[in-house]
Amino acid sequence: MVVRQYNEELKYLEKINPYCWRIKKGFQPNMNVEGVFYVNGTLEKLMLDELRNACRPGMTGGFLPGVKQIANVAALPGIVGRSVGLPDVHSGYGFAIGNMAAFDMADPKSIVSPGGVGFDINCGVRLLRTNLSEKDVQPVKEQLAQSLFDHIPVGVGSKGIIPMNARDLEEALEMGMDWSLREGYVWAEDKEHCEEYGRMLNADPSKVSLRAKKRGLPQLGTLGAGNHYAEIQVVDEIYDKYAAGKMGIERLGQVCIMIHSGSRGFGHQVATDALVQMEKAMKRDQIETNDRQLACARINSTEGQDYLKAMAAAANFAWVNRSSMTFLTRQAFAKQFKMAPDDLDMHVIYDVSHNVAKAEEHVVDGKLKTLLVHRKGSTRAFPPHHPLIPVDYQLTGQPVLIGGTMGTCSYGRALSRAKSRRNIDYKEVLTKMENMGISIRVASPKLVMEESPESYKNVTDVVNTCHAAGISKKSVKLRPIAVIKG
Amino acid sequence: MSKMFQIKLQSLGHPNPESFNCEDEKEYKSVVLWLEDQKIRHYKIEEREGLRNFDSDGWKESYNAYQRDLVSPAAELSPNEQLNWLLSYAVRLEYADNVDKYKNAKVEQPKQAPNVISTNPLDNLDFSCTTFKAGVERVSTIAGISPHPDPKIRLAALCKILKTAPHPDPPSSESVAIQQPSDVLKLLFIEDLRDLQTKINESLVAVQTVTADPRTDTKLGQVGR
Repeated sequence: MVVRQYNEELKYLEKINPYCWRIKKGFQPNMNVEGVFYVNGTLEKLMLDELRNACRPGMTGGFLPGVKQIANVAALPGIVGRSVGLPDVHSGYGFAIGNMAAFDMADPKSIVSPGGVGFDINCGVRLLRTNLSEKDVQPVKEQLAQSLFDHIPVGVGSKGIIPMNARDLEEALEMGMDWSLREGYVWAEDKEHCEEYGRMLNADPSKVSLRAKKRGLPQLGTLGAGNHYAEIQVVDEIYDKYAAGKMGIERLGQVCIMIHSGSRGFGHQVATDALVQMEKAMKRDQIETNDRQLACARINSTEGQDYLKAMAAAANFAWVNRSSMTFLTRQAFAKQFKMAPDDLDMHVIYDVSHNVAKAEEHVVDGKLKTLLVHRKGSTRAFPPHHPLIPVDYQLTGQPVLIGGTMGTCSYGRALSRAKSRRNIDYKEVLTKMENMGISIRVASPKLVMEESPESYKNVTDVVNTCHAAGISKKSVKLRPIAVIKG
Repeated sequence: MSKMFQIKLQSLGHPNPESFNCEDEKEYKSVVLWLEDQKIRHYKIEEREGLRNFDSDGWKESYNAYQRDLVSPAAELSPNEQLNWLLSYAVRLEYADNVDKYKNAKVEQPKQAPNVISTNPLDNLDFSCTTFKAGVERVSTIAGISPHPDPKIRLAALCKILKTAPHPDPPSSESVAIQQPSDVLKLLFIEDLRDLQTKINESLVAVQTVTADPRTDTKLGQVGR
């Protein structure tokens, strides 16, 4: 990292409008393109404070500040357009979480980087609706939370209740949600309302290590730990009646269920395995990066291709995982209300991934190009009439699901996990939730403080910035009334 | 190309189609003038002066203007392609002027196709009604498609342009004329797509009745730390 005074650093940053900043070339060495990030007043302060702290003498170790990470990604070979930081951007491994970067697949030097996807491959959010109202759920929410907790195992080392053998896993890795569909765990309409129809076609389970499969097998149908959760939410505000209607959200107080989970230990192992391979590939192909954590390989190299195929298998794992939890959620509700999930209208509104790399066609400088788009902690937001979004959303554009954490609806870290542990008392967090009328079931209360609302950037700021910058439009706000998490 | 020119010139009754050499600048110019004088007659006689001055430097300019006025799609292409279009255009005009004379000169009659009644509303449109013709005329002019007596051909050309060329922004006076039909087409497309997706879902559900066997075993469950 270039060491400069904070004031010197600021010369490379330019505020181009109230919600958008430009990172000029030279902020980090060898930048091929410029960077850009979207913030409002509050988030801007957080971003710049982080940079200022990093500029203080003697600050070493830990992750680089988010702006620096965005700029380092702009220096990777084959990047096109700009390296984009979304409003909730915060430091991560190599790439900042909330960073989007696209690489030209026609350029032989272009790279793929596991850091640009993250360890929790195809971590994503799925939203289910019901025809229940808050008043139907309030009296039984403790029982419902317990029932969800019983159906969906949570926490580090949890094991799922859907029986799977090694052969089932191989098939699930290849088929993604089609496997869940074939086995009868989900509805045909669920697939329709899922990014990529719940299946990456380039998945190749033979490129996945035995170790990853061993870790993954018992974990299907489990929520995991960290920031993952399943929440019962109620519609708190409708901003866009038409768009909400298209999603089947008709009235205030309507009950929805949000599931935020990913590929568990399986994806983590796939990423870890790939990083080892890529270090070798970098040496062989003499790929230089600004940060060791930006390990990568050329897209067309064996290592690059193997990673993409294994990553696709992990993405399929995550869709099967969320599908299994959808099934279990429907069962829990059906038992509680003694009605079929069909009659409760428990449809998937949308399932969107925020940790994935995909080949997509985009127009860059007036030319149609096939790009490998890395999205890490950033959700796709395709506009109306885009061919890759479901027919039901052709007029409104793809729903963008921005999940919060525990009660206050927050998203995107403001404090590191360790810092959270030191500064926040878990009992306080749990009491606070209780006072807000939120039922909570956790596997490990002590880890709760890592994910407490104070640890995250305020989701309202994030959503408002997206709205103001024209990235996505606000349509519905959901408020949690019951949470289960690891 | 020259064989093609020969056939077209011959059918138009040019005095010496055999000897026409399209590479010779003078002959080229004289054929252009002959076409306008005898066949196309787009300009009034006095307006043809620019095309008549073969030796003037302004000839090229007049020729370009002439092509623009005819809305020739070949105006940006090579001189031979430009001439080819002019010839074809003249042939079309000649035919349109004497339909009765030429219509009996039929090539082999295609076999009578079985009479299928289509359910697609687009197939049942009345292509000969004036509203259809006027509509095609209006949209084609905006899209810069050259005139043709058969509106269906122009519609086909329009379709090709919309599929391949980047869509030009219509002038603001015409934007409503473009916006409304394109909105209608988008909505029709979405309706078709919804039908297709519903059929796909029905097939999936049909298969599920054979394959589905969802199971759970709570004994396997284990909550983590």
